[in-house]
Amino acid sequence: MDSLPTLPIPISFISGRYLLFSIDAVTYLRREHNICGVLIGTLPQIPQQNVFLGLPLELMPEEARVLVDRGVACIVDEAKAHDGMKSLLEEDRRQYLRELESQGLHATRILSDRKGQQRDQALKKLDEKAKAKAKAKAKATKAADDNASASSSAQQDEPASVVDLFADDGSNPASSSKPLTSSTPDAQLAMGITPATSYPPLPHPSSSSQLLSKPEVPLSYPLFAHLHSRGYFLSPGLRFGCQYVAYPGDPLRFHSHFLVVSAEWDQNIDLMDIVNGGRLGTGVKKGFLLGGPEKSREEVNSEAERVESVRAFSIEWAGM
Amino acid sequence: MADADEEAIRATSTEAPQIETDLSDETQDFRLLNHLNFLSDTSSSSLPRRGEKDFEPNPTEFQADVLAASRGAMHNALGHPRIHHPKTQVIGIYAPDGPAPPPELKVDEKGTGVSPEYCVYVPVPKGQYFKTMGRADRWNRVWLLPEEAMYLIERGTLDIKWPSELTGIDENDVNEPAIPMSIQAAYACLLGRSGLTLERYTVFTGLKRLGYAVTRAPGWDDNAQVNESKNESNKKAYTQPQQRGPGLAGIIGRCFSWLDDPFGTSSTAAGPVVGCGIHRNYAAVYRKLAIIPWYDPAAAETRDPLDTDVPFRVVFHVYKPSTPIKKSAWPAPEFRIAVVNTREQTSIPTLAQVGALLESTPLDPPRGEKMDRLMYMRLRHGYRNVVLAVVDQGVTSFLRISDAAFGKEKLYEAKGVPTGPKRHGNFRPKKR
Repeated sequence: MDSLPTLPIPISFISGRYLLFSIDAVTYLRREHNICGVLIGTLPQIPQQNVFLGLPLELMPEEARVLVDRGVACIVDEAKAHDGMKSLLEEDRRQYLRELESQGLHATRILSDRKGQQRDQALKKLDEKAKAKAKAKAKATKAADDNASASSSAQQDEPASVVDLFADDGSNPASSSKPLTSSTPDAQLAMGITPATSYPPLPHPSSSSQLLSKPEVPLSYPLFAHLHSRGYFLSPGLRFGCQYVAYPGDPLRFHSHFLVVSAEWDQNIDLMDIVNGGRLGTGVKKGFLLGGPEKSREEVNSEAERVESVRAFSIEWAGM
Repeated sequence: MADADEEAIRATSTEAPQIETDLSDETQDFRLLNHLNFLSDTSSSSLPRRGEKDFEPNPTEFQADVLAASRGAMHNALGHPRIHHPKTQVIGIYAPDGPAPPPELKVDEKGTGVSPEYCVYVPVPKGQYFKTMGRADRWNRVWLLPEEAMYLIERGTLDIKWPSELTGIDENDVNEPAIPMSIQAAYACLLGRSGLTLERYTVFTGLKRLGYAVTRAPGWDDNAQVNESKNESNKKAYTQPQQRGPGLAGIIGRCFSWLDDPFGTSSTAAGPVVGCGIHRNYAAVYRKLAIIPWYDPAAAETRDPLDTDVPFRVVFHVYKPSTPIKKSAWPAPEFRIAVVNTREQTSIPTLAQVGALLESTPLDPPRGEKMDRLMYMRLRHGYRNVVLAVVDQGVTSFLRISDAAFGKEKLYEAKGVPTGPKRHGNFRPKKR
C-alpha cells in the first residue's frame, strides 16, 4: 500500500485542467506531500451517489505548481501523449492485451470463488436453520404446521443470501439471475477490464516533447505555497466563501482551521469584507485568515521570492 | 486559557447536531466504505454517517494508525477495478472524426443523420442507460456525446475501444482484438471536444449520479450568436426592466379617488402624498402611497437563449428521474442550468447578466393551490428561474435564482397575511 510511484509523477494536463489518474500517485502525494486535490470521478462500486467520489483527481493549478517546483511531478500534455497509440509496437500491443486478459481471468476466478463461498455460507446457514427447525419441531407437538412454514421460509431466504456480485451494479440486469455455469472459467469468460491509466500501453517516461512548462498560477499562489510549506492541507474554498480552506492535517481526520483569502500587499480591502469573513469564519468555528506577499509581481523575478515574503493575519470575531 | 478554549471547541464539536450537515460538503472518511458490503445488493445498504474527526494532529500512534486505516480504505476504494462481465459487456467504439457510416458499408452515404458532436458509438446498445442518452443512427447504432461516454466508462458500464485506425491495427484483420480505452484516455480524447469543459462535465456527471436526465441546451455553444439575418430586431442590449405603476386597478382607483376628492387636494405638489381629503379605508391610503414604480417580471420580454453573456447562459436542461423521457421529443425541462467556473468568472454576475439570463428562460409563474395560499412561497418561486452551477476546482455549488414580483403582492389587500411587526417576517428569498 505504501508503494512509491516513479518520480517525477506525470500530471495530466487535459483541456486546461490538471488531473491525476493513478491511484498510487494520488495516495503518495497525499501521504508525502500534503496534496489532496478534489476527487471528481464516479466510484464504479457505488455509482449512484455524490458523497464518495473516485478517480480522477482534479488538482488546482497551485497544487500542480507546488509539486513541479518541488521536483516530484511534471506536466504532461495528455492529448499529445495519446497520439502515441498510433505508433505502438505490435509486440507491445499484443503483450498489453495478453496482460489485460490474464487480469480479466483473474477477476473471473476471484468472483466465482467468492460466489462459491457465498453459496457455501448460504447453504450452511440453511442447514443450521433446518437443524434448529428440526429441534423446534421435535419439541413442538403440531408437526405439520411447522414443517410447512419451515419450507416456505427456506425458499424465501435462498435468493436473498445467494447474491450475484453484479447485482449491485445495476448495469447488468441480466446477470443477477444467471449464475456462472462452470466454476473453472475458460478463456471466453475473461472479464473485460477498463484500466484507469494509459501507462501501459503507452511508454512511461513521457518524451520531452509532451512535457509542458510550469502551471500558470493566480495571484493567490504565494499564500497557498506559504501555508502548504507550513504543513497545511488546502482545498478549494468556495463552499465556505473563501479561496482556500486550510486543514491542520489530512482532511480525512481533521476539521479545517482557517478560511483563507489572499490579497496583494497594496491592495485596498473593503472593511466590510473583513467583517464578513470574520463573522463567517467564527460562525463555522474557523479562523478567517487574510494574507499575501509583501512584494508584487513587478518587484520580483520569480514566484519563489514572493512566497518568502508572505505574511498572514487571522481575524476572529470578538463580539465586544 | 488555551486548554479551556480547546475543551470548549471539543465539547461543541461533539455535541453539535449532525443532521443538517450535507455529507458531500466534507471530506468523507473512506473507512466508512468498508462497512458497505458492495457484494450485497445496494437496496439494503444506506450511506454511512460521517466519521468522527479530531481537532488537530498530535504525535500519538493511535491517531497515526487511524489515519493510516482511513487512507488505506481510501486507497482500496479508489483502486476498485472496472470490470465487465462478458455476457453483459456493452462495447463502444471511439470515433475521433465524428459520426460516420459503418466501415463495412463501402457506399457513399452522405451522412448518418447524427450531429458531429457525437463521437462514440455503441454497435449493440443494451441496458437502461440508452433511454435518456445517445442518439441512434439508421444502422441501429447509438451515438454518444463525449460527456455521456465519459460518464458511462467512469461508472464501469461501458467498455470503449480504440478504433483500429488509431492503434495501428490492420483494419482487415478481424481476429485482432481492439485495445480498451483507459479512463485517462477517455478524458484525454473526449474532454475539450465540442465545448465540453471539465466544469460542465463535473456538473453533468454529478447530476447523472443522482439520477437526473440531462441534455445539452441550445445555448451550449459559447460562440453561437443569435441568427441576425432571421431576427435582427431580437438582438438587444439588456434594458432596465420594465416598470409598472399602480396599473389598471390604480386607474380605476383614481376614478374613485376623484369622486372622493374632486378638487384635487391630494395633489402631491401641494400637500401630503396621501392628500388632505377624507379617507374611508386603509387600502385607499396605501394605494396613494405607492408612488415608487415596481418591476413586473411577467411583463418582461422573452429573449433568445443565445442573446446572453457567457458564462451566464443555460447549457443544460435537467429532468427529474420520474419524468417520462422520449429522446425524439424532449419535454420542457424542469431545471435550466448555467455553469460558471470560479477561476474564469471571479465576480458575481451583474444585473444585466442575470437579467438577460432570466429573460432567456420561459415564464414560469407560481401555480397551484399551495402557491395561491402561501405568499412567501410565491415570492420564492418567482416568475422565471434558473440554476447556477458554480464550480470551484471540482467542487460544485448550486444556486437558484428567481425573478420575484414583490410589487404584485399587495400586503394591504391580502387576507390572512401575517400582520404585526416582524412576526413572521424572517424569510430571505434570493432576489435580484
